[in-house]
Amino acid sequence: MHPRYLILLTLGVVLAFVFFATATRNGQPTELPVGVVDLDHSYLSRRLCHELQATQGVHIEAVYDNHTEARLAMQQGKIFAFYEIPQGTYNKLLQFQAPRFGLYTNQAYLLAGSLSYRELATMGQLAAGAVQREVLRKKGFTDDEIMGKIQPIALETHPIGNSKASYQVYLMTTLIPGIIALMALLHTAYVIGRERQERTVGSWLRKARYDTLRAMLGKMLPYTCYYTLLLAIAQFIMYGPMHFPLAGSWVLLMLMSLLLIVAAQCAGCFIMGCVPDPSVAMSLTSAYATLSFSLCGFSFPVDAMPKVMQAFSLLFPLRHYWLSLREIAYFGNGLSHCWVEIAALLAFTILLIVGAGMLRRQWRKGVAC
Amino acid sequence: MLKQLTASLRDMWDVLSAEVRRVFSDKTVLVVFFLATVVYPPLYYLIYSSEVLTSMPVAVVNLSQGEASKRFIHKIDATSEVDVAYRCLSFTDAQRLLLDHQVEAIFLFPSDYDRLLAQGKTAHICCYSDISSFLYYKNALIGGSNVLLDEMHTIELQHQSAEGMDGAQAEVQIKPIAYDDVKLYNPTGGYASYFIPALLLLVVHQTLFFGICVLCGDANENRRALKLIPPHLRKRSLHRVTFGRLLCFMFIYFPITLFDLWLFPHWLGLPQLGSVADVFLFLLPLVASIACFAMTFGNLFVRQRMSAFLCCLFFSVILFFLSGAVWPQSSMPRFWLAVSYLFPSTPGIQGYLRISSMGAALSEVRGEYLALWIQAGFYFITATLSNRFLKRFN
Repeated sequence: MHPRYLILLTLGVVLAFVFFATATRNGQPTELPVGVVDLDHSYLSRRLCHELQATQGVHIEAVYDNHTEARLAMQQGKIFAFYEIPQGTYNKLLQFQAPRFGLYTNQAYLLAGSLSYRELATMGQLAAGAVQREVLRKKGFTDDEIMGKIQPIALETHPIGNSKASYQVYLMTTLIPGIIALMALLHTAYVIGRERQERTVGSWLRKARYDTLRAMLGKMLPYTCYYTLLLAIAQFIMYGPMHFPLAGSWVLLMLMSLLLIVAAQCAGCFIMGCVPDPSVAMSLTSAYATLSFSLCGFSFPVDAMPKVMQAFSLLFPLRHYWLSLREIAYFGNGLSHCWVEIAALLAFTILLIVGAGMLRRQWRKGVAC
Repeated sequence: MLKQLTASLRDMWDVLSAEVRRVFSDKTVLVVFFLATVVYPPLYYLIYSSEVLTSMPVAVVNLSQGEASKRFIHKIDATSEVDVAYRCLSFTDAQRLLLDHQVEAIFLFPSDYDRLLAQGKTAHICCYSDISSFLYYKNALIGGSNVLLDEMHTIELQHQSAEGMDGAQAEVQIKPIAYDDVKLYNPTGGYASYFIPALLLLVVHQTLFFGICVLCGDANENRRALKLIPPHLRKRSLHRVTFGRLLCFMFIYFPITLFDLWLFPHWLGLPQLGSVADVFLFLLPLVASIACFAMTFGNLFVRQRMSAFLCCLFFSVILFFLSGAVWPQSSMPRFWLAVSYLFPSTPGIQGYLRISSMGAALSEVRGEYLALWIQAGFYFITATLSNRFLKRFN
């Protein structure tokens, strides 16, 4: 064990955890800066500005005099969306001539653009509703009847397993295990790589009675225990004091965490065993580890990727872990829904056996050992 | 004066050529610099090439069985986001399909849906959706909301006609304010157009960083970092060493950066609204600041060839998040926002996204451009000073 790197990587896990917990502490981005191009300067436009300012999701960064100014502000990154209220909007409304608003959103920042669109569209509907309510009240309708007219249908959404649609839950439950598995993978690859780099494979194997599989298992095991413990602590904090929803079994989640760490380590042993140059092997391990975040399917669903990428994603332990996390934490499913993922993660041990075999061959030939 | 200039140029040339030889004789650095930068972009493009999720399978449970609910279901089925794969008789059946992942969402129409609509009261539709990936939830929400707005319009028109209003008058009352909804810079809301430019810049950032860290780690590990500095430059002219090395990395990496951030997106037809000259000018301080940052970090902290990968790779995820490409900077706590500007990736991604995807001119990203030059200057000084630490370690 190398205490220096173990301490550094533990601090890394703490840093990642604190970073994601604090950066996403509100669950969803709030106070997104938006703008208004007010060409109307009327009661209606002022009322809309007041209502927008009162919402938590967005805040009005500035009121612009023309479209060009607002577009420039968007290109300068000052605002994510803006309303354009044309001249004469309020008059048109009073004269029963349907006026139109321009609603411009910046979709180059997909999350901020979509959220500010949702907020602005809702507030626009409410402003429209308020005008409509005034007309209907004057006609003598009751408030109940007015609601039926303004909003005849309401869509109630129930996101399963994350009822508040919190980005903190969504991001941390996948990224933190992903980061810890990445460290376990790199650390295992690193300790084997050091033996090859220092040309001490002979003395290492002697201790394992020249059984490369036993030698690799001996290298892996302390890190398996340590990183599983780290992941268990992180899971405990997330599903405990941070109140992340966990619909299924805690024991099953722990089992999957252990298997994730072991599978990641097996992949590390395989690459280190196969590639003769330890430093090149370490760079390839890093490339492989980085891809797992895109290919696990939590940001962009794997079913929407091309077939070749769908097959490629199966080579990443984080993909199988995420599939089981979905079953356990979100849907509360049990072992019957997770056995495929368990089998897939266990199958990574084949990589360990192959890696050990390759190392044995190279050691006998005297290649970088 | 002229003699001094020639001497300094000769020194820099010596350092530059020695560094180029080191780069091209190190297999790991070649893998990181050349292989990773060529393999990653098409791989990421393949992952996100579908841009959007379409025809997501959903189940509907229609307990009302009236005309309005059937019309709603037909309209949902017609959207590109959602595909009605199952029509279930009970909620339990639909729930089973959702738990088995044969559908990603359920739309439930309660038994009183059509009756409440006929009475002029608010009727409710329940949408249960998988949110393990936010895109599933977003698709269900967008599909449902779009149909809902359209359906509200139809229902209100029916109500107003029943009250004896003519078409034009009813139209005004129903929608006092209409929108011209304009989605700028990424009209389809596609993932590739949104994710890939920022990811590519991070690839450039991280590969250059790790490549330089491997070189520094190698020199420190073999206790020859000091030997790589010509003896007559060790005391006063360390800046020539830094400058020579910086030129070497600029010379090798600037074409790679241009390939990844200009040529590759151009081939794939990703949004490229900015001018080539602006992209070119913006990338100059970017590469310089990354190189100087990596030299400082490598000289000070990297003692072995492989240790940078081990200790710093996890930070790529944090860097991507810190850059503001995913999580808006306006929602980032001030502390993390300040920290984010220690790394060239933050102004780099912000500025590059705006120039390339949003067509901003260099003058509109002057904050980021200035930040990159300041970082390049600051890290140049720290890289020069960090060479003094080498004596201690070697």
